[in-house]
Order: sequence, then structure tokens, then C-alpha cells
Amino acid sequence: MSDWVRVAGAGDCPPGSLLSVTAGGEAVVLANVEGHLYALRDRCSHADFPLHDGFLEGTELECIHHGAKFDVCTGAARSLPAVRPVKSYPVEVREGDVFIQTG
Amino acid sequence: MPQNEVIQGLDLDTYKYGFIDEEKHVFRTRPGLDEDVVRQISAHKGEPEWMLDFRLKALKIYESKPMPTWGGDLTSLEDTLKEIYFYVKPQEKMERSWDDVPADIKNTFEKLGIPEAEQKILAGVGAQYESEMVYHSLKQEWEDKGVIFDSIEDGLRNHPELFRKYFGTVIPTADNKFAAMNSAVWSGGSFVYIPPGVELDTPLQAYFRVNQERMGQFERTLIIAGENSRAHYIEGCTAPVYSTESFHSGVIEIVVEKGAHFRYTTIQNWSNNMYNLVTQRALVHENATMEWLDGNLGSKLTMKYPSCYLVGEGAHGNILSIAYAGDGQHQDTGGKVVHAAPRTTSSIVSKSISKGTGRSSYRGLLKVYDGATGAKSNVECDALLINETARTDTYPYIEIDEQTAHIGHEATVSKIGDEQLFYLMSRGMSEEVAMAMIVRGFIEPIAKELPLEYAVELNRLIELEMEGSVG
Amino acid sequence: MSGLKTIEGVTDAINAEAVEARAAGEPEWLRERRRHAWRVYEETPMPTTRLEEWRYTDLTEKLDLGSLHLGTTERLPDDPASFPTGLQEAMAQDREASGHLVLIDGAVVHTDIRDDLSEKGVILCSLRDALRKHPEMVDRYLATAAVPPEEGKFQALNAALWSDGVFLHVPRGVRLDVPVRVTRWISEPGAAFFSRTLIVAEPTSQVSYVDEILSDDLDAQTLTSSAVEVITQDGAQVQYVAVQRLGTGAFYLSQQRTLAYRDSTLDTLNVNLGASVSRVDLNARLLGPGANSDMLGLYFGDGDQHFDHNTSQDHVAGHANSDLLYKGALDGSSRAVFRGVIRVHEGAQQTDAYQTNRNLLLSDRARADSLPNLEIAADDVKCSHGATVGQLDEESLFYLMSRGLPRERAERLVVLGFLGEVLSRLPLGGVQEKVTRAIAAKLASHH
Repeated sequence: MSDWVRVAGAGDCPPGSLLSVTAGGEAVVLANVEGHLYALRDRCSHADFPLHDGFLEGTELECIHHGAKFDVCTGAARSLPAVRPVKSYPVEVREGDVFIQTG
Repeated sequence: MPQNEVIQGLDLDTYKYGFIDEEKHVFRTRPGLDEDVVRQISAHKGEPEWMLDFRLKALKIYESKPMPTWGGDLTSLEDTLKEIYFYVKPQEKMERSWDDVPADIKNTFEKLGIPEAEQKILAGVGAQYESEMVYHSLKQEWEDKGVIFDSIEDGLRNHPELFRKYFGTVIPTADNKFAAMNSAVWSGGSFVYIPPGVELDTPLQAYFRVNQERMGQFERTLIIAGENSRAHYIEGCTAPVYSTESFHSGVIEIVVEKGAHFRYTTIQNWSNNMYNLVTQRALVHENATMEWLDGNLGSKLTMKYPSCYLVGEGAHGNILSIAYAGDGQHQDTGGKVVHAAPRTTSSIVSKSISKGTGRSSYRGLLKVYDGATGAKSNVECDALLINETARTDTYPYIEIDEQTAHIGHEATVSKIGDEQLFYLMSRGMSEEVAMAMIVRGFIEPIAKELPLEYAVELNRLIELEMEGSVG
Repeated sequence: MSGLKTIEGVTDAINAEAVEARAAGEPEWLRERRRHAWRVYEETPMPTTRLEEWRYTDLTEKLDLGSLHLGTTERLPDDPASFPTGLQEAMAQDREASGHLVLIDGAVVHTDIRDDLSEKGVILCSLRDALRKHPEMVDRYLATAAVPPEEGKFQALNAALWSDGVFLHVPRGVRLDVPVRVTRWISEPGAAFFSRTLIVAEPTSQVSYVDEILSDDLDAQTLTSSAVEVITQDGAQVQYVAVQRLGTGAFYLSQQRTLAYRDSTLDTLNVNLGASVSRVDLNARLLGPGANSDMLGLYFGDGDQHFDHNTSQDHVAGHANSDLLYKGALDGSSRAVFRGVIRVHEGAQQTDAYQTNRNLLLSDRARADSLPNLEIAADDVKCSHGATVGQLDEESLFYLMSRGLPRERAERLVVLGFLGEVLSRLPLGGVQEKVTRAIAAKLASHH
């Protein structure tokens, strides 16, 4: 169950930004930290709200809804009200397309 | 208690803390809230740049968040917020001796009995008047042991590293609209640090007084209870009765380190024109205990749900909540406990009384995350209705992800029983006295947890409120 | 951005044309009712998790409306021998009945009713037949008093697109000694079915009604939407039972409202064992003094099943009782949500209302959320609610094992005992045995 799925073009998510995509029916948020792409499940572990409207500062994604913070590289929770990580997915850029591995 | 003692003092049907002092201030911002107001508050406090940035970002978040549509009725609040003063500076500097506090302000706190209580039963006292702490003092023996009990501004000034490490980490700015508002305009409140192993045997108290008409008070309190320490903090609040609406929105962040025991007690008795929207949260580490004793008696509308995040193994959270809603009042209160570690335990007990057109709502969250093995929690809510126009609600949220958790919730609603009343009256009590006695029995589990002086005060308040409830 | 606003929930299959197609040939009042419902549907935003009642069921992930086509409404021959095996099996387990109605993929294929009842004026027929033969009765109740489109997005969709359903009418004073049985079979994967049930019990009449819906596993998401309206007039007694045993792939949506008038008894039992997603909205309204509603629910989940029960007990009139008990056991990574509210309206004195939700977590990946709410605006009432979440009681297990039972059988017995409490409160011919058998089979498949 480890399928690589194309989710976006490499240019769709420029450095410092977040992008909401779907992969295999799951909502996923892409984060571009200085040219490196990371993918997290697009649901805050605190109240299940989407993360893609949040703030990206360095490698920290702050949920706009209640202020929980996550490390985009690992999905680890960095601040209350979140106490659990969000799922993180492997990401690869192949010939201008962004793929993530689901499952 | 002999009956005649109960009856004495039943002459007041008015709010007894409603006296008004002459308005005096050395500075206040213009009514309403915008970036300029935030910059002025920050400038008056002579803050570091990072705090100004923090405030400005908070203002943006505040503006982007919609007004809550749940809880109490906030429809008239938006207009109120345009007219209130967000910052009122009552005097030039905070004093450490009552003798240096301006006579009229000192007089106010004397009427409220604060200096007297300080001498008798307290380890330290902070007093806030309008937007600033006007007095702060800690007994020498605790100062010698490294306890810090200061205004929040002095905490930032004198302990910048400790302050910055914890400030805004327990309650992020974006947590809710009013936490964001507080983050933008906070002023006053306490900074408390209890060093590891230090056990305070008497409470610290902060007293909040609003005197100015149409003002908003935004205290911000940060408390760090070091490993294996023990302390009790009490806050009290009152204000004069005005025909216009006032606003109070505090943020209280508490970190309870390993093995520590911290208790935070609120006796909120704002006047009935006050919106009281407060965020209180504790982060509770391994084998530590956090206790919230939350007594809400005053205000027009209170929305407040003290919470415990149990993040260390064996952490314990305890919330005791009592609400009294009289005519025109809505107490939307309760508590939240999040179990995020194994063997964590918690208990929430809520007791509410609604009278006249009053409404009390219990709103609570009990969450057990996967992996919090053996977590145990029990929630009990009892609501008492005094007459047919009163209203009560119960809104518990129970979210359980852990198989080995053991969770129970129970709520009951009842009215004062006719048989009970009849029995007491047949023993020669008046209906009023009988009713006060029944109500006192109802809140007894909470009152007994308070220091004696406060418990007596609570009982007296209930008796006063029962006045005129008959017929 | 163009000025065009996209309307949430309008798809290639679900749109105004589909509503017109359904309305073709119908009386004008009904066509207008469908069009009105469709307008409400268009104007109502798709529920999101920010909406309290949908907080724990994320439709963006659970329901793909765009993938659905409307189920065929072609009526199959009324030939029991040709019925799908699963349907035949389910019907064979049933005991005696006052009458039957069988629906396959939303179309009524069979109806019967005992002659003596028919002679007394009891009507059991498809909703479409009722429209032809008793239009005034249908007009009076359908999608008006009980489940109007204004209730929500999906209530509106059902009122606009229903294809057929069940009509049961029991005249004044007539009492049915054995249940009316309705059995529904779903076989078309990827389809959406919209059906309605309308039950009217006239004063002092009595009837029990059992509605079972089943399918095999479906290899594409399939939606079954039903709107259920039950009305008990003064002194009438109705027991309404819905048993859901759909296969995986099914999204079961049942939106029920019961109206209980003076001195009537209106009991409900919702059993949910199947489907990938199961959502039940039940609003019990107590409208006259002396009205009484027992509201029972039972669910057993495994795999990644998702159950969402949203109940309300509206005490509009005083001197009425309601008592709710919903119990569920959850295995695998299944999840259950119970959200219930007791509302005591102003002036509804002498109300007795209770609400209990109990959950048993059988696996470390299962999850239960419980929100038992009270809203009380009268003081002379007795109201309480309770909720518990826990795992199997080790003591009972130990006791059974000490009597020589292997652990698995002991566990099965404890679970059945836990859920059995619900069934024992509504002893209705055959239901208890059938549901117990289905749970036992589900439990057995785990070990």
C-alpha cells in the first residue's frame, strides 16, 4: 500500500508557501521550506481543521485555527493545543512533478 | 449555624462591591482598538521590540477570527468594543507598600478587605486597578527562597529569559478570538515562579478591580511551578455597576513541572454589566497535580473553561466549578481535560444554580488520546433551578481514542424540592432561610475546598442572592 | 474569478433536471414541494466539521457525491424465488407479520397485508400507490410536519429526489398484534437511493413496524438516504425499529422524526451493524402531555466503520417522558459518535427525560466520542444524562473463564450481554434473536 501519487507541479508551491492537495482521497498539505518540499496530512491533530491556511515560519507550520505548531519535516507537535504529531509523507520531485508516497 | 446568624445581613439586595471612585488616570488610549492603540500600550510599557511584534501579529489574528457563535450571546459586544477604553493607566508606577499607593485607590482596596487579608492569611498580594498593577508585595521569607511574585510587566523586564521561554506557549495567540485580543493589548496580571521544592503554606492573591466606566481589562498571568513545588494562587474580581457594558478578558498560562502541585482559585464577582471572557490553561507534567477552583458569581456573561493538558505520565487534573446565574446573567463555564500520557487521572465537578432569568451552562471537554493507557476521568454536573424562568444547559464533549481509558460522565438537573422546603419550614424556618440552607448544602463540596475566609464570603453571597427569590 | 457561483452538492446526477424528471406526472402540489426542497438544497451549504452537528463526520472525506448516479427505479418482478439470496435469508428469519413490503434498489417489488387488517382500514403500500389512492393523507404529512427540507442539506435533498417509499396508516382504535415488516435490499454499487417512510397512527391505534435494510459488500460508494416520519396521535402506540445491515461501501443516512401527541407512546430502536458510514438523525418531539418515548440504539463496529448518531428529545409539552439508551461496541479501527440533546422547552413542566450513552472499546484503535447535552428551560423537571467509555470488564471475563469458557467465548458473551440490555427493553417478535445472531456472527468473524 505504498503508492507514489503525483499531487502537484513543482512550481505550484513556491518557497515559504503552503499548498493544499489530495492524494488517494486524503487531504495533504505541501510546505516549501527554502526549496525543500515536505508533506503532512492536512488535518491538525488538535481539532481536525485543515492546516493549509496556516503560517509557515522556517520549518514550523502554525495552524491558523487555534495556534498549534508542527515541524513540517517530521509532523511533530511543537505547541499546545496539539499534543500529537500529524502524519508526514515522503516527497519526491521527478521531472517537474511532485509525488508523495501514501499508505 | 444558628438561624439568626443567617438572617442577619440580609438587608442588601444590591451588589455590595458596586461603589464608584472618582475617575482618575494618568493616561488612557482613545476608545476602540486598532494598531495605534496597540503601539501606544507597548510604548507606555517600554517593551522590547519582540513584544511589540507579538502584539501586532496578535491584532491581525484577532481581526481575522469571527466572533464565536456558540456559548453566550455576543451580539451587542461588537458595539461595546468600539466604545471601551482598552488601556487606562491609573498611576505612574507600581508600589510595594500600601502607604505609597494613592489614597483613593488604597481606600478602594481597603473597602475590599485586601490589606487586612494580606496580613492575616496571604503569602503575597498583587492588586490591579484599571489596566495596571498598582501594588505588588511578597513576604520576605518567600522572596528569600527565590519565589518570584511580580507584575507581568516586571516579569518581562526582570526575568526576560524565563519569561520568553514560556510566554504564549500554553495558550497560543490563535487559540481563540479573545486570547488573540488579549495577546494584542494585555496589561497587568502576575508573573509567578515557584522554585523547585519550595512549598508555600499560605496563598498568593491577585485582586482585580475595574473602576473606570466603559473599560476593558486584559490581565495576563504566567505561572511556572517548579519541580515538586507547591502553591495556591487566588484571584478575585469586582467592579462598580454602570449602565454601560464593560469587558474583561484575561489569559492565564500555568506550567506545572514534574511532581509539583498547583491550585488556582477564582472568585469572580464582577458587576452585572461585565463581559468576562477568559482563557485559562495549565500544562501538567509527570506526576504533577493542577487544581482549578472556579467560582463564577458575577458578570453579565462569563465564558470560561479552565483546562488541564496532562502531558506527563501520572499527571492529575482537578476542576471544581461553581456558577451562580441570577437575573439577566449567563454563566457559560465548565472545564477541559486532555489526557495525553499514560496513567493520567482527572475529575471535573460542576455545580450551578440558576435563579430568576439566569442561565447556567456547563460546557466541557474530556479528551483521551491514543496511548494514554489507563487514563481515568470522571465528570459530574449538577444544576439547581430556583424558579421556572431559570435555564440550564449541559454540553459535555467526550472524545476517547484509548481502549484502556475509563471514563464516566453524569449530569442531573433538579429544582429545590418542595418536600425539602416543607420539612425545613415545618421546623420553623422562613422560606428564604430554608432555601439558602438548601443551596448552601448544594455548593458545600466546593466551599469546603476554599480557605475559610473565602468560604464564609461565598456563603454570605449566596444568602444575599437568595433574598427576594421567594414568591 | 468569474461571477458564477458554484452550488455545493450539484453534480452530473444530482441537479434540477433530475428533480424535474422525478416530478414528471406527479400532482402539482408535490412537484412544487420537490422544487421548493431543491431550492432549499441549493441554498444550504454542504455541512462541514465546523458545524456542530457534523463535527466528527467529515463529509469531504466520507462522501463523494460527484461519483454517485441515481439508482434505477425500474420495478423488478414480484417473485420471491428470484430475490437475491441475502434478502431471502433475511426474510426467512422473520416470524409472522401483519404485512410485508419489500424494496429492491429503492423500488417496491412486493406488498401484502393481512385481509382482516385491510378490512379494518389499515393501509400498507408504497408511497407512490398512496399518492394515487390517498393523496390527501400524503399531502397532509409528507415532508411537512416531521422532516421538512429546512431541517438540513440532506433532508432537502431527500425531499427533492425521493423515488418511492413506505406508507403505513392505522385507523382509530385498530390494534395490530404482530409487526409490519419492511425489508430493503441494495445491489447497485455507485448509486444514490432516496426513500421516505410515512407512518400515521390514529388515536388509540397500535402498531409495531420493523424496517430492515441489507446489502452485500459494494465495490463503490453507495448512498441510501431515507427520511422517516412517524406520527402518533392521541393515545396511539407505535414501535419503530430500523435494522441496518448494509455491506461495506454503503453510506447509510437515515433522518427520522417522531411526533408524539397526548398520551401516546412512540418508541424507537435503531440498530446499526453494517455500512462503511452510518449516520442517523433522530428527533423525537413530545407534543402532548402524557406522551412517552423510549429511544433505543445499538451499534457494533469493526474494520474502519464510522457511526454517527445525532439524537434530540424535544419536550415541547409538559408531563411527558423520554428515555434514551444508546450502547455500542467498537472493534478494529471503527469509530462511533453519539451526540444527543434533551431540550425542555419553556413551560414544559413535569418533564422526565433521561439519556444514556455507553461505549465499549474492544480494540486499541477504536474510538468513541460522546456528547450528551441538556438544554433545560423549565424548573420542575427530572433530567439526567450519563455517558461512559471503557473496555471489557475484566472481572466478568475472569468469572466466565473460571467457569471453563475459553477467553474468546467469554468476551463474546460479555459483549452480547452489554448490548443485550438495549434489545431486552424492546421485546418485539424476532428482532432480538435476529440482531443477536447478527452481532454474534460479526464477533465470531474476528477470532
